[in-house]
Amino acid sequence: MMTRRADEPSDEQLMINLDGAGVEVALSKLYDRYGRTVFGVGLRVLGDRSMAEELVQEVFLKVWRSSGTFDPARGSFSTWLYRVTRSVALDLYRKRARRVRPVSDGQLHIAAERDSSAGPQEIVDESWLSWRVSRALEVLDAPHREVIDLAYFGGLSQREISERTGVPLGTVKTRTASAYRSLREELAVQDSSREAIR
Amino acid sequence: MNYAEVHPNVAAFALGGLESEEAAEIQRHIASCADCQSELEELWSVNRALDAAPPPAAPPGYLKGAILSRVRAERLSPSSKAGAAEASSSVEAQSRSHRTSRINRFKELRLVLPSAAAAALVAVMALGVFFGFLREEPPVATIQLIPTPQEAAGLKGYWGVAEIRPQPSGNQQVELKLNNFDEPKANSYYELWFVSGDKRISAGSFTSVGKGETRVLLNAAPEASRYQTLLITEEHVGKGSTSGREVALKGDMP
Repeated sequence: MMTRRADEPSDEQLMINLDGAGVEVALSKLYDRYGRTVFGVGLRVLGDRSMAEELVQEVFLKVWRSSGTFDPARGSFSTWLYRVTRSVALDLYRKRARRVRPVSDGQLHIAAERDSSAGPQEIVDESWLSWRVSRALEVLDAPHREVIDLAYFGGLSQREISERTGVPLGTVKTRTASAYRSLREELAVQDSSREAIR
Repeated sequence: MNYAEVHPNVAAFALGGLESEEAAEIQRHIASCADCQSELEELWSVNRALDAAPPPAAPPGYLKGAILSRVRAERLSPSSKAGAAEASSSVEAQSRSHRTSRINRFKELRLVLPSAAAAALVAVMALGVFFGFLREEPPVATIQLIPTPQEAAGLKGYWGVAEIRPQPSGNQQVELKLNNFDEPKANSYYELWFVSGDKRISAGSFTSVGKGETRVLLNAAPEASRYQTLLITEEHVGKGSTSGREVALKGDMP
């Protein structure tokens, strides 16, 4: 159910390429693989689209600048990238907490620390689970992702999914079971790397 | 039902996606099957994890190009050691290969250069204005649109995000990104409203493409900036202002 082709370079190989002439190709591929996850986690914990965009930009620049600090012996690229994302998200959170902004009534207000987003500890707590789920969903192929999107996020019954997609009901059920199995396995694998993020 | 018949359906049952008769049958089986009970527990843990899933949104298309541009610029900047070395060797190589022809053409260029530079400056300024105009301003608010609990039963499969960008004119521009939003019924259309108490300001009407993502750009009057709730309603052509109105999605300002 993995979507990546066997002849595609691994994340770790791409990190090595960040140090040479192929830097833009390597960074571009890493962005394609992880950009949605970084952005989604940013939206989730920062609660603001423009800050989530800033997060994505700063995270991938940091990936390039700090590629030498990545040690595959200490954990996967995904776990390392999560740590980078969490660190940048905390920096952005603190920056926003200090920011003074005008609002529509013309007065100045300090941006509330918890308006629409989490606090520092919540960023640490929520972002890891959010990251893991996002990565688990990213590895589903399109047909399996579709049944989860329609069933879980859309609230459709199995029969409604079958009617909407034109896929036989039995196949929808099989895909649902298979997608859940994959999610469960992927979440278990990623949870086992919990120590690596500390 | 035996284990082999039930097992493939446990995931659908955990999702609450089975018809009531089938769900009742599976529930009866699970009550007496330790394997299925254990399976169900694990599936519920997946459900709990899915609650933490980020909203299904992608970063804007220009962002990747912006990041790569910054990397390119930093690599070529003199402060970047590797970049400086690389830039220097590249410039040196180019310099060697073109030195002769450059010398030969210098006299011609000496005449053409001032006017070419002026033209280039004008072009760069024009492009700057053009791309500055096209550049998307970041939204001041991103609002998740979901069915309200009351309407959720009849409005499945909808999920949306609204991004609000105040315009220099004061108008509130709203970009809607709706996922799997059904087409309106015959003789109907959707309308987006800013709501405060019993007051509403319309941001305009639209339709959708059903399956997949629908993107719509709408505008509301400046007064809408003080309204805290967004509603998408399904309106029927030719009916009165409130008759037949059905709320499809709702979201509150963060």
